[in-house]
Order: sequence, then structure tokens, then C-alpha cells
Amino acid sequence: MSTFFANINELNEFDVFKRAGYRIVEGGEILVRVERIHLGYLFRTFVKGVIQDVVLFEFQRPAEIFVNNWQSWGPARVVGKDFPFSFPIELRKKFGYSASIMPEVYFDNLISDYFMGSDKFLIGALSSRIGHPYLLIDPETVKVKLNLFGRHFADWTEVEKFVVLKGEIDWLLPYYADLVAKENGVELKAKNFVGWSSWYQYFLDFDYQKMMADLDKSKCLGYQVFQIDDGWERDIGDWEPNEKFPALTRIASDIRSYGYVPGIWLAPFSVSETSSISKNHSDWLVKDENGNPKVAYQNWNKNIYALDTTNPEAKEWLRTLFLNLKDAGFGYFKIDFLFAGAIQGKRHDNCTPVEAYIQGLKIIREAVGDSFVLGCGAPLWPSIGFVDGMRIGADTAPFWDPNGPDIGYPNAYYALRNVFTRWFMNGVLWWNDPDCLLLRCEDTQLNDSQRQLYAFTSLLLDNILVQSDNLSYKIDHDLWKRIMTIRSYGKRMVNLKGLMDGQYEITSAGVDGVHKLLVKDLKIPTFRIEFDEERVKLVKKIEKRSDGRTFNYYEEREKLE
Amino acid sequence: MLERRYNILTGEWVIVSAFTQQRPTNPTAECPLCVGGAEFSEPYDLCSFDNRFPSLRIDAPEVISDNELYAKERAQGKCEVVVYTIEHESAMSLMPVHQIEKLIKMWADRYLELSTLPFVKYVFIFENRGAQVGATLPHPHGQLYAFPFIPKRIEAKLTAQARYFDEHGNCALCDVVKREIRNGERIVYENESFIALVPFYARWPYEVHVYPKRHVSSIVELNNEERHLLSKTLKVVTMKYDLLFQQAFPYMMMLFQAPVNDIRYWHAFHFHIEFNPVKRDKDKIKWMASVETGTWAFINPKIPEEAARELRAVEVLK
Repeated sequence: MSTFFANINELNEFDVFKRAGYRIVEGGEILVRVERIHLGYLFRTFVKGVIQDVVLFEFQRPAEIFVNNWQSWGPARVVGKDFPFSFPIELRKKFGYSASIMPEVYFDNLISDYFMGSDKFLIGALSSRIGHPYLLIDPETVKVKLNLFGRHFADWTEVEKFVVLKGEIDWLLPYYADLVAKENGVELKAKNFVGWSSWYQYFLDFDYQKMMADLDKSKCLGYQVFQIDDGWERDIGDWEPNEKFPALTRIASDIRSYGYVPGIWLAPFSVSETSSISKNHSDWLVKDENGNPKVAYQNWNKNIYALDTTNPEAKEWLRTLFLNLKDAGFGYFKIDFLFAGAIQGKRHDNCTPVEAYIQGLKIIREAVGDSFVLGCGAPLWPSIGFVDGMRIGADTAPFWDPNGPDIGYPNAYYALRNVFTRWFMNGVLWWNDPDCLLLRCEDTQLNDSQRQLYAFTSLLLDNILVQSDNLSYKIDHDLWKRIMTIRSYGKRMVNLKGLMDGQYEITSAGVDGVHKLLVKDLKIPTFRIEFDEERVKLVKKIEKRSDGRTFNYYEEREKLE
Repeated sequence: MLERRYNILTGEWVIVSAFTQQRPTNPTAECPLCVGGAEFSEPYDLCSFDNRFPSLRIDAPEVISDNELYAKERAQGKCEVVVYTIEHESAMSLMPVHQIEKLIKMWADRYLELSTLPFVKYVFIFENRGAQVGATLPHPHGQLYAFPFIPKRIEAKLTAQARYFDEHGNCALCDVVKREIRNGERIVYENESFIALVPFYARWPYEVHVYPKRHVSSIVELNNEERHLLSKTLKVVTMKYDLLFQQAFPYMMMLFQAPVNDIRYWHAFHFHIEFNPVKRDKDKIKWMASVETGTWAFINPKIPEEAARELRAVEVLK
């Protein structure tokens, strides 16, 4: 079995089919089958034995490439050959596994998780259910790799599939996303929504009085969800209200009394070193080689350990936690820092970190039923099919800094960059969460232009829309009104061109017409929006008849007026 | 009974619907779509509503399929009646362009709304006009089916267009549009955004297809100006049909859009409308008989270029 493509842009069938075949690797065996599919080729891999981190094939690197990080906050960006990738040494301990499932590789190498593209091709894995598929990139070559973390396969087992697709990257990406969705059996049942979150206004300085004040001010803004973020809990791992909040049932019923679905934030796979779980159930934590709890990352000025989602007692605790939150009245769950569930280490079950993570997500999904689950800080491909929404960029912030580090730090500029570069996942794998819209005109460094671009991009890409402002402040209400008017037309069909050169052109089609957003320079930002004025304005009224049938009436607005 | 059954010999799904058997074949004197009829007590403009006799239902009964040879599934989907206007005596050929523009907007909304049902795979919008194609009511209306599977002919179109894209790197219909504009002999009507033509591969004597000049995979992607121009195109084509033999011309009009909940065909599938008229002359019908039904092979007795010339020659007020 040969493993090297000379030039992936000039692939012919013989080059591709030479990659098929059988080979022996250290500890096991691998069999690769290659099939022709629309626009390219499908690589199916079967393994037996103890398999580590294997190279499936490699190819000559194009100069400009589109690379992707494994989790929500990480960058999805275009880089050239001169891109000097090295993660800041002083931040490596703090970031830990937040940066990569394989920090030992990531911190000093350019890698792209799950997929990568260039102007004329795309290569990507269709799933991450057992192993971690990625591409290891040096200035000359790209190695297509699958890390199975030394898992033992007693019998021949099919692992993650890859596709190699040829064409324009801008339309290959949505095509690829749909292949991934079909491979994972995604049926997007949940509806996209509009809501409010506490985080980007109050951060940890949030309490019940502030919640009630904003609830009071929120009438007529059109929210469907009202979500309390970090700051309500006693500790990371101790998911009970702290002294600033009443009982969870009270919080949920207060929110519901305003007509909203009550939403709550938590980081279910994270356990702080000061939490009661850490003190009383250290056997529930992922361990290092010496049997000590492994630090997944540092935050809240603490070491954060990872819940072993394969430990039977920990699993039961996790199930009970979410059943109780659901019983308390919550119907929307923002589950954050999820990467902690997928760190490498010793667990109760002898499985890969990806399999352990999926065990944890399954428990949550089953416990909350049809409630909306938003993944955040989440490994992307292993979450497919378990979450309804997904954060697809870094935290936003009340500032715009194109010169800041591009490592997943809060920054409206980098957050929005990912909203463009991961646009194709929306409505196919899940609803993209572009992160919150900050529409306040005070207590912010964002200017009108930055605020408008963020809002219209999120709207026209048909993403989740969540506002995060103190509603007592001066808010850009005209902007919100315009957004809600367009959103009222319902689902949109979206396309984006210009991914490789960064001059993004969004085409957003809906019942009201086809709006366009053209970004000339995201850094400044300079952009133009072309609204498609309606020639005919229809008002739709829905009538439910006593025989169960639905009648959708359409009437011209002018006539009604 | 309401279920769909898989034909292992052809790979197609058949919907078994005992409800549709109750549908009247010869309606009573009172039109159910007029105000005061069975469906409407108040005046309206346009309406799309659940068919009283659906072949697919959102709440279709559960089906137990325990036989590999005879697989069956729930007939889950939706069948709607799409009423174009309150005017009983009207028709697409007689409606103002403005009313057709509203209809197109309603079609776009139905397509988008039905695509939010995760089990829906294909939204098929169509109109049967005239008793010769089985229309039971003269009141101007069409229908739509939201299928839980990709119907066989749609699958054939997707496969053929995807294969063309693989071989040529372009959308097949984009190439057809360019060629037909250059050639001109099959074009019946053209404006800035659409061409209406008798296709090179016409199966019916006076078959007309409407193709957008720009690549779009569904009606939703047309901007408001293009929707206006599509309204004009539909008006012109149906007027030409009626004037051709100076009679209400029976046809099947079908909108072919990309599948929903599946964006794999956006680049390769080009939205288009087919008019399949059954007349081969003023008083003669082209029947869908054994050859057409059994083999899907059509024998067209009319040379498409001649049909195009005749239709082009029919003067209509634009």
C-alpha cells in the first residue's frame, strides 16, 4: 500500500486507488478500501489489534490551506506557508487540553482537526466516534492521520471514514457537511431560536436581582429562551445555587412566567480542585499515569480536573444532575468546557477519550430528552447528533482586536471570523451559535459598524441569536428591530463565497428575498449589505381547523392595511 | 390503511392510501374552494391547506416492518392543496402577474416551512390542469407533496446531474441554458432571468421547461426581481398554451427543486419547472400508455423544434 499523493490538486483515479490495501503497523493491521463517490473518493479504514496514531496517507502541501481546530473556541482559518505556528509557552499549562486533544503534538506543530481544505479540494473525516482524525502539516507535506490512542480491537472493526473531494472549496464545504451529517444520522429536530444570556454583560458578577431586572425589561423583545450563565453555582462540579440565587425551581419558574424557556449554563465534565466531588470522589476523575487526577486545564484561578464519564457512579451522578435540572423546570442547557470529557488519561473503561466523551454526552441527551442542548468548548465531530446547537468560535467580547492572539481567547473579531469560516455547519450538523450579540451602546468598546456586522452576519447566516446586555442600558433597538423583522420570515438558505481570500460574500435567501452581505476587510471592518426589497409583502395567518387540518392563509399586507 | 411499501424489483416506494379512495372524482355543483363551499366560509386571497384526502400525513400510523422482502415504512409527510386565488373562473393564464408573484412567494414559504420537518426529504409542488390529467376541480389550484423519501424520477434527475457535474465540472442545466440561448431555435419565451423552451429531450408534444439563467437550486434562492420575472414567464407560457388551440390547455406543471434536509446537490441541481401537456393536437391526446408507463421510454410524435416554433409564434400580450 502506497501512502503518498504527489499533488492532490491533480488527482487521478490511479493515484487514489493505489492508497487502498493492507498493511501491518506496530501492534496491529490496517485495511483501506477506496470507493468513487460524487465529487471525489471515500476512504474506508478497518483495523485489528492495538492501534496507536497511524498515518493513512500523505500528500504534497498546497501553499494556502484552510485549517480547523478540534473544539468550539479554536480557530478555523486560512494559513500560508509562512504561518509561524507555535503555541505561547506561558499559556500551555493554562490551556491544557482546551487547545487540543493531543496537546503534546499541537503545541509545536500545525495540525488541522477533522478536515482541511484548499481552494480546489477538501479532505475530511466523516465522523469521530472512536478515534481522532486529523492532519499533521509541515511546510512540504500533509499527513492524514487517525489517532486511536492504543485501543485494542479484537476483531476487524471499521473506524472513521475520510473523503477526498475536488472542486471549489466554497461549495465543497456544505457538501462535505452534509456527508458528515448523513454518516452520523443527524436529524435536526430542534428549532433555531432567539434569546438572552447573562454572560457578556455580567460575567461572574450576576445575581438574582439582576436576572429579575432584565426579565422585567425584556418584554416585547421577542426572546424564546432566557439563560443564566456561569455565576449561579457553588463551584465547578457542585451544581447547586450559591448564596446569590434562590432554588433552581424558583429561577426556572420566574423565567417561565415571562413566557421564556428557562436556560442554564454548566460545565458537566469539569471538576474544580476545590469542589466536593474532587474531595469526596477522586475515583470519578480521569487519572494520569501515576493514578493522580489529571489537570485538564486551569480556569477560575483553579486546577480543573475531568470527570471520568465511563465510571458507573460518575455516570449515575451525571444522569441525576441533568434529570434534576430538567425537573426543576429548565428546558435549555448550555453545556460548556466539554473538551474536558475527552482528555487523554486513565479511566474506568479501557476506551479512547473520544468514546468516553460520547458516553458522557449520551447520558446528558437521554436525561434531558427533547430539551435544547447547546455544546460549548466542545470537540466538534464527536458531538454531532448529541447537541442541537454548537458554539463555533471563541468567546465574543465588548472589544474588537484583530492584533490579539488567535488562540481562542475572548475577542469579538476572532469570534466573528469563525462565524464566517464555520458557516457551512449551520442547519446541517446543528444550529451554529455565533456567540452573543452585544447591542448596548455603553459599557462597550464596540462601535456601530462592528456591532452591526456581528448582528447581520449572525442573522443572515441563520444562526442562533442571543443577546447579552443589561437591558437597562441604552441599546441599539433599531438594529434589534430590523433583525427581528427579517428573522420573522423563518428559515433561510445560505451560501458563502470567499473563504480562502477572506472577502466573504454571504447570500441569504428567505421568503422575503435574497439579501447579501459583502465583507471587504474584516479587520476594520468594511462591509456592505444589500437588502432585497420586497415587491409583494404577504402576511401569513395559520388556522387550525377542528378536524385537525392546518390552513395557511396568505394575504397582501397593503390590502390589510 | 396508510403506509408506504418498498418495491424490491424497482427500488421505488409505493404509497398505499385508502383515504384517497374516498376522494370525489366528479365534484358536486358546489366548488369546495369557493367561499361558501366545503373549505372556506370567508373571503381569502391565497391559501395552502392540508388535503382532506392525504396520501401522506405528519401523524401517519406507525408501521411494523419485519420482513426483508416486503419492507414498509410510515407514510409520514404532508399533502396540501395550494389555492391560487379566490376567483373560480381564473387560471394561471388569466391571473394578473402580481397574483402569480404572490403564489411564488407562497410556494417559497411552503418549501421552507416543510423543510423544517426533519423527516421530509422532498417537497414536490405541482398543478394538474384539466380533466384530461385528472384534475377534479376547475378552481385554480395546485398541490404539494412533502415526501419522506426521494421519489424515483427525482432520484434519476439527481443522479444524472451529479454525474454530469463529476464529468464536466459544471451544472448540466447551466450548460443547457447557455447552449439554448446561443442556438435559439427551441426558445418559446425569454426575459432577463428565465428562458422557456421546448427541450431538446422533450417527452410530450408541447412540453415546455422553464429554466432560470442563474444557477439556483430552489425557488427560495430567486430574488424578488427574479420572482417577478418568473411570474411573467409562467403567465406567458400558459397564455400561449391556451391560445395555441384556442382552448383551456390541459397540462401537468411540476416544480423541480433540490431535496430538503440535504444540501449535497445545491451545486449540481438547477431548479426548473416542467410543463407536461397531454395534447398532441387540438383534439388528440398523447396518452401515457404501456411503453411510457412500463419502460419510462417516451415516443414523442412532435419534433421539439417545430413545437417551439408554433408556441413562439403564438402572440401574447406581455
